[in-house]
Amino acid sequence: MHTRIKLIFVVLAAILAGTVQAQDGNSARDKEELQMIALEALIHVPEERALPAVLKLLESGGSDDLMESAMFVLGQMDSPEAAAALLDFARNGNGDAREEAIQMIGINGDATAMAALADIYADGDEDTREAVLEAYLIADDVDAVFAIAMAATNDDDYEEAVETLAVMDAREELKKLREAKGPSEAFVDAAIISDDHEELERLARDSSNPDVQTEAIEALGIVDGPNAEAVLLEIYKSSTNDDVREAAIDGLFIGDYGEAILELYRSSTNAREKGELLEALVVMDSDLAMDIIDDALAGDQ
Amino acid sequence: MNDHSPHEFDALGLDREVKAPRHMKQRWHDSIDLAAQREFNDQKQTARAFSMSSFFWGSAVTAALALGIAIGVFVADDPEYIEPTEYVVQDRGNSFDRVMQVHLRDTQNDIASMPIDTAEDRTTLVLRIIQQNRLFEQAAERNEADNLARVLRAFEPILLQLAASDIAPEDAEALRDQLAFQLKVMLTKLERSTSKETTST
Repeated sequence: MHTRIKLIFVVLAAILAGTVQAQDGNSARDKEELQMIALEALIHVPEERALPAVLKLLESGGSDDLMESAMFVLGQMDSPEAAAALLDFARNGNGDAREEAIQMIGINGDATAMAALADIYADGDEDTREAVLEAYLIADDVDAVFAIAMAATNDDDYEEAVETLAVMDAREELKKLREAKGPSEAFVDAAIISDDHEELERLARDSSNPDVQTEAIEALGIVDGPNAEAVLLEIYKSSTNDDVREAAIDGLFIGDYGEAILELYRSSTNAREKGELLEALVVMDSDLAMDIIDDALAGDQ
Repeated sequence: MNDHSPHEFDALGLDREVKAPRHMKQRWHDSIDLAAQREFNDQKQTARAFSMSSFFWGSAVTAALALGIAIGVFVADDPEYIEPTEYVVQDRGNSFDRVMQVHLRDTQNDIASMPIDTAEDRTTLVLRIIQQNRLFEQAAERNEADNLARVLRAFEPILLQLAASDIAPEDAEALRDQLAFQLKVMLTKLERSTSKETTST
């Protein structure tokens, strides 16, 4: 029985190495299908035997699908040798293989390989850095992403890290980051992603950075929190800043708060303002717009 | 009639098509992008609640009970939904691995029978799979099965791509194959570890 298993393994290894061809043809497609079947069968083989065959396949190359599958198998192996091989691909591999290996380190979770991702991020190009963030996301390593955000030296890296923290719902770390680095539009996006109404409301009321404030006001309509309509109304009524008021209308528009816009329309005494509010209602395709028009034509307004 | 009204309406140009200002349109586009991101995350948060009649729940509970596992679940006010906030297998051993096997096998079956050509049906099914996947990811975290939680987290980007309504059938098929392969690897690994444990006891 032992000999039979050995024989099966030898055949699988030969198929993966590409030395055995499909009988009914020599096309690359046939060969790859056979390799995929062999890779699937290899899952049942003890890891110490399967590892060399998978590594050989990864080194010899193949289609994206085949390489992805082989890398996944490697990522599911528990030995330090498999983790070391993943790390080697992550450091020295090219393009997709490198990114795939980085992602698999996140899935595998090997402590040594995970620790090495920080250097790979620091030395990597944009795609590599993105892959490292994804690996941290998969491994749920909030501390590592927070460290990247704190150390970021350009806006893109900073925003990517902040958004990753938002997807991880790491509200405490986002708060620490905002306190350390000050408000920015990245935090508005983060609050939207993590559905953090309170943070969005805080940013919408903070006039220290006008761009961030107007973004946050509009975003209140997107997140549609429990107080969004009332907060937007309050911001509109209490502000004398045209940009802030315009953002509040946009927020009401985005949130489909037609009743609130109607309230502002009825309380306004400024013809231009009334025009803008009615225009918003018309664009919203709201029945309320027709009510206003009917009222006005009937002389009620 | 208020004297101002006719002038106000003249200024609005209601006799012609009213178009949204360009800056507003741009903001809506931006908002749609952000809202889509938010929706994905929103689903992540609402994934704690799922339908009692969901396609796999019955078999998962049956399997859990058959194994004599105590699973604490919090039943929300709405009897249609269960919030698995306390989904913890109290007798760890390899029992949780077996529950995961049931989940992965059900997912595997759903993926295999997934309609590729009808985007709407595919999206509906995949969104349900995503919901279940998130539920089990949380369960894995609570059961300190970090390795399983990581894999389930890694499934999600593939599932989200598969849920997209504008994906070409051949791309959907490739993603389905990728997912099916990864599920098979995971199942084999779990089966191997549970059988090892059974053999050694």
